[in-house]
Amino acid sequence: MRGARLGSFLAGLAVLLAACGNSGSGTPAPSTGAPIIFGAAVSLTGSQSKEGGLTKQGYDLWLDWINQRGGILVNNAKHPVQIIYEDDQSNANLSATLVEKLITVEKAQFILGPYGSGATASDAIVVEKDGIPMVESNGAAQSIFSHGYKYTFGVLSPANKYLTGVLDMAATLNPKPTTIAMLAANDNFSLEVAKAVADYAPSKGMQIVFNKSYPAAAPDVSGLISQAKAANPDIVMNSGHLAESIAINKAAKQLGLNAKIFAYSVGPSTPDFISALGADANYVYDGSQWTPQVKYKPSFYLSVADYVKAYQKKYNSTEPPDYHVAESTAGCLAFEKAIENAGSLDPSKVRDALAALDVMTFFGEIKFDSRGINIYKPMVVEQIQSGTHYTVFPANVANGQPQYPTPTWSSR
Amino acid sequence: MSQFAQQVVLGLLLGGIYVAVALGFSLVWGILNIVNLAHGALVIVGAYITWDLFTRLHVDPFLSLPVDALALFVIGYALQRGVINRLIRAPLLFTFLLTFGINLVIVSLLLLIFTADFRSVTPSYSGSGLHLGSVIIPYIRLGGLAVALAMAGVLWAILNRTRIGAAILAVGADRDAAQLVGVDLRHIYALTFAIGAAFAGVAGGIISTFQSITPTAGDPYTLQAFAVVILGGLGRVSATIAGGLAFGLIEVLGQSAPGLGSGFANAIAFVVLVLVLVIRPRGLLGRLA
Repeated sequence: MRGARLGSFLAGLAVLLAACGNSGSGTPAPSTGAPIIFGAAVSLTGSQSKEGGLTKQGYDLWLDWINQRGGILVNNAKHPVQIIYEDDQSNANLSATLVEKLITVEKAQFILGPYGSGATASDAIVVEKDGIPMVESNGAAQSIFSHGYKYTFGVLSPANKYLTGVLDMAATLNPKPTTIAMLAANDNFSLEVAKAVADYAPSKGMQIVFNKSYPAAAPDVSGLISQAKAANPDIVMNSGHLAESIAINKAAKQLGLNAKIFAYSVGPSTPDFISALGADANYVYDGSQWTPQVKYKPSFYLSVADYVKAYQKKYNSTEPPDYHVAESTAGCLAFEKAIENAGSLDPSKVRDALAALDVMTFFGEIKFDSRGINIYKPMVVEQIQSGTHYTVFPANVANGQPQYPTPTWSSR
Repeated sequence: MSQFAQQVVLGLLLGGIYVAVALGFSLVWGILNIVNLAHGALVIVGAYITWDLFTRLHVDPFLSLPVDALALFVIGYALQRGVINRLIRAPLLFTFLLTFGINLVIVSLLLLIFTADFRSVTPSYSGSGLHLGSVIIPYIRLGGLAVALAMAGVLWAILNRTRIGAAILAVGADRDAAQLVGVDLRHIYALTFAIGAAFAGVAGGIISTFQSITPTAGDPYTLQAFAVVILGGLGRVSATIAGGLAFGLIEVLGQSAPGLGSGFANAIAFVVLVLVLVIRPRGLLGRLA
């Protein structure tokens, strides 16, 4: 902290000097302040290295953009930004240790969240203890926010909204589906998603006819799928991760489980899902935090279209960014705006500015409730149609219509 | 009733995968007294070879299995001769640490080469199956079970019908005595490990057809192989078959136990494992030590 204080003193001095030199000509050009140091412990190796890598891409995309503009503006001084990364090896327990190291050894002034609800929950304890604000972009479990923490903010729509949007959409379709088979991985986040579906379904006139969980990262789900098939559901939902959503879709085809809607919480939005399954990926729905087709009107940073272009340029990709990347960038944007609004690098002032934040970004509205959850941004529903993602619900941000019902496996 | 029959069929098919994975693991453990924690990583190396041949050259996954076997045989031989052999007489803990380290190195190399993207081998017949009344037998898994049983036959034939096999069994029984009668210990050690690795590679080729693979996807299989060997017993090919099929059945039937989430399936499987250890410590079909 001493470095930061010295930095802001120097920045103030620089502002004064600049003001003297420029006397008479309106607002002086901003000076350069000391770098602002962000810390992030993300999964760069281990079972979540894919998602961790996407998180880092999202952070780095903003990092380039803000530094091209000289940095974050605080009291008319532009502070360039550094992000110091640690690798939590996909181990939630290690994550907290690394965040402690980032704060005490690397002198990180602010923390960007890790990948996953488990790691986020353990990091939240550390930042709370040290009084360092954390904006997290990849932990959607509401349980993270149920402890009254003051320093943790999440830009995501919470877990309970992941698949309820699909039910909202299903209720508008004809013939209306009424029975649901719900599969869930045995982890906090996935179980929260599944419970929300079970709680919400009756209000839409639907009932759960099969509801089971399986161990996370289960390589084999064929036994479960054959049981689900016996219940003859209209909707098959999975709340889990990419590997399981691929396995479930494969097993559904092998065992001839035909439903009108297949919807998976996590997985279908990634390019891997389509490349792994080919044409079998078609018709699958997912609830997504964000899609490259949404039509938000941001008040700063990039428009949705420019964001997609910036991503493709930096990472030399023809694919648009998936939502893990976008939500991670959104976390950085929350910090950028809050620091600007606070006009200070003091952690408690930035924390207060985060609590009061209300901005529209390419990712949607960012505004936190008293727990620190962004409940103001809706989830969107997308569907894979002929190998391409289309946003199909809600209608005001959609660029396609749901293809319904899903044809049987034998007639595809 | 047909639902139960379907579950039994799926359990046996899953068991076939476990047999394939555990054969090499059991051989290395039985003969070299090494619990190879890198076994799952070797399985995934095989899976990546099959994936690579499928995506680049459109080779049918089942036709690429011999390539997996050959490549992993070479890797296994070199790994044993160059690295593991230096610790072959060290206490179990040392080889534990060593193979744990090898596992990390292989997984990291795979991450560097293939990245963490999810890969999948999806041949045209991957979704279809044999319909027997209301019971469906997916072709891919049936093929997997057939290959697993064929592998078991090959291993049995090598061990019981060839001079090399006799030498391998001799080393397993008493390494000093085997050396006295002229067996080249280092060669047999390396050969045994190479055969184990080759079998892991074939298992990986099968796995790539029904599961999406990542560099870390092998870790659960090391654990499964361990459980299968404990359940079936060490030192016999038939014991591995019995252990693998039993473990697959227990897992799938455990998933359908009424009222329980299938999160309990693993727990049920390991409870059975503990019971077997208590009642029959040498496993279902294992030899007395």
